[in-house]
Amino acid sequence: MSVKFVPVQWTFNKWVYDGVLLACVALYIIVFIRLGTPAADVTRPVDGAIVRMRAYGSCAFLMLTFILAIGPLARLDRRFLPLLYNRRHFGVITAVVAATHAFYVLGWYYAFSPTPRLDALLTSNVAYGQLLGFPFETLGIVALLILAVLAATSHDFWLNFLTPPVWKGLHLSIYVAYAAAVAHVGLGYLQDTTNPAFALIFCGGALVVAGLHLIAAKRGSPVPDGVWVPVGAVQTIPDQRAIVVRLGGDERAAVFRNGDTLSAVSNACAHQNGPLGEGRIIDGCITCPWHGFQYRPEDGCSPAPFTERIPTYRLKIEGDRVFVDRNANPPGTRVDPLPIPEALR
Amino acid sequence: MGALIVDVAWGYTYFGLAVAALFLTVGLGRVSPDARGAYAFRPLLVPGIVLLWPAVLLRWIALERGAEHGAAAHKPPRRFQDGAALVLAILVPLILLTALVARQDGPLERAPVQLAPPAALEPER
Repeated sequence: MSVKFVPVQWTFNKWVYDGVLLACVALYIIVFIRLGTPAADVTRPVDGAIVRMRAYGSCAFLMLTFILAIGPLARLDRRFLPLLYNRRHFGVITAVVAATHAFYVLGWYYAFSPTPRLDALLTSNVAYGQLLGFPFETLGIVALLILAVLAATSHDFWLNFLTPPVWKGLHLSIYVAYAAAVAHVGLGYLQDTTNPAFALIFCGGALVVAGLHLIAAKRGSPVPDGVWVPVGAVQTIPDQRAIVVRLGGDERAAVFRNGDTLSAVSNACAHQNGPLGEGRIIDGCITCPWHGFQYRPEDGCSPAPFTERIPTYRLKIEGDRVFVDRNANPPGTRVDPLPIPEALR
Repeated sequence: MGALIVDVAWGYTYFGLAVAALFLTVGLGRVSPDARGAYAFRPLLVPGIVLLWPAVLLRWIALERGAEHGAAAHKPPRRFQDGAALVLAILVPLILLTALVARQDGPLERAPVQLAPPAALEPER
C-alpha cells in the first residue's frame, strides 16, 4: 500500500488509545505531586522540586515497564493485541515523560553549578569503580538516549528507509534501555528510600517484565526437522483466519483458511513486519492487523495499484493434518490454494 | 573530560542538523518515492537524522547506488529478540538484588568500628 507519508496515520482507535494514555499519565503525575508536595518543603530532604522529578521519573519507568510487558502479554493472550498495535505512540510519550524528568534533574541539582550543567552532570561523580555511590545518572542518560533514538525513528519512513530488519534490530535496544533504567533506579532511588511501597512497585514491575518474557519464551515449541512442518488439524484453522507456524530461524508462516481452501504466506507484513497471522481475510485479501496492508492469499501480492509482495509457501494435507513446506517461495510467487477435502470441511 | 564529551555531542548535533537540512531538501525525494510531494511529515524526521546521521548518510549512499533489501525484509530478527528477552529476564532480578544488597543498611553492611586517632595526633597529657 505505497502511499505518501503523512505525519501520523490517525485512526479512531489511535485517538482513543492516545487519549486514554495521556489521561492516565496526567492523572498519575497530578496525584503523585498532590500527595507528595504537602510533605515536602524546603526544610526537608525531599522538597517540591524533587517530588516533581520523582513523579515524572517513576511515571517513565512504569510506562517503560508496561511497554515491555505488552509484547509477551499479547503472545500469551490475544486480548492484549490492541495494546500492541499502537505501542509506538506509547513509546514516544514515554520518551517525552523521561526527558521531562531529566530536565527537572538538571534544573534543580545543577541549577547553581559554576560549570555548565551538562559538564557538571558528567563530572560531579566519576566513581565508576565502586557500587556504593556509583554514578547512576549515567545509566539514566543511556536509557534516555536510547528512548530518544527509538522515539525519533518511530515514523513509518524510518522503517522503510532503514529496512525492517535494521529497524527492528535498532528497536530491540529497548531491552538495553530497560536494563539501564532498572540499574538507574536500583543504584539511585532504591539506595536511600525508606518508602517500601515504591520500592515494591519498582521491583515488582521489573520482576513481572522478566517473568513474562521467560513464560512467553517457554511457550514457543521446538521446530521439528524435515522439509514439511506440521501445522495442525485442518479443523483447527478458523475460517478467514490463520494459524502461525514457526519454521526455524527467524521465519514464521501464516496458514490461512479462506472458505474451503488453504494458503500460506510469510507471517511478516512487508510494511512493518506486522503479524499477518493475527489478522484476517477481508474482501478476499489477508489484512495486516497493524495498518491494514493487504495481500492476496494465493500469491502474496497487494492488489493493484499497490506493489508490496511477501513470500508464499506450499501446503499439503495428509489425513486431517496440514503441513507447510519450510522453504519459502520468492515474494509474489503464485501457489494455487489447497482445496480442503469435503470430509474435513 | 565531561566538557570534552559535551563539546563532541554538540559538534555531532550541529553536523546532524546540516545533514538533516541536506537530506530533507535534496535526498529524501530521490531515495523514497513515498516522500515525493509529501512535506508535512518532514520536520518529524529531523530528530532522527540528527541522532543517526552517520547511518542516514550510509543508507543514502547505498540507495543512490541502487541497493535493495530484498527477502531479508521478511525475516525480522526474532531469534535475536528471544535471546535479548532471556538476557533481560535474567539481568533484571540480578541488578535489583545487587542494588538492594549494596544499600548501606543492606545485609552486607559491616558493623560500625570506632576509629582510633593516629598516635601522632594523640593529645598530650
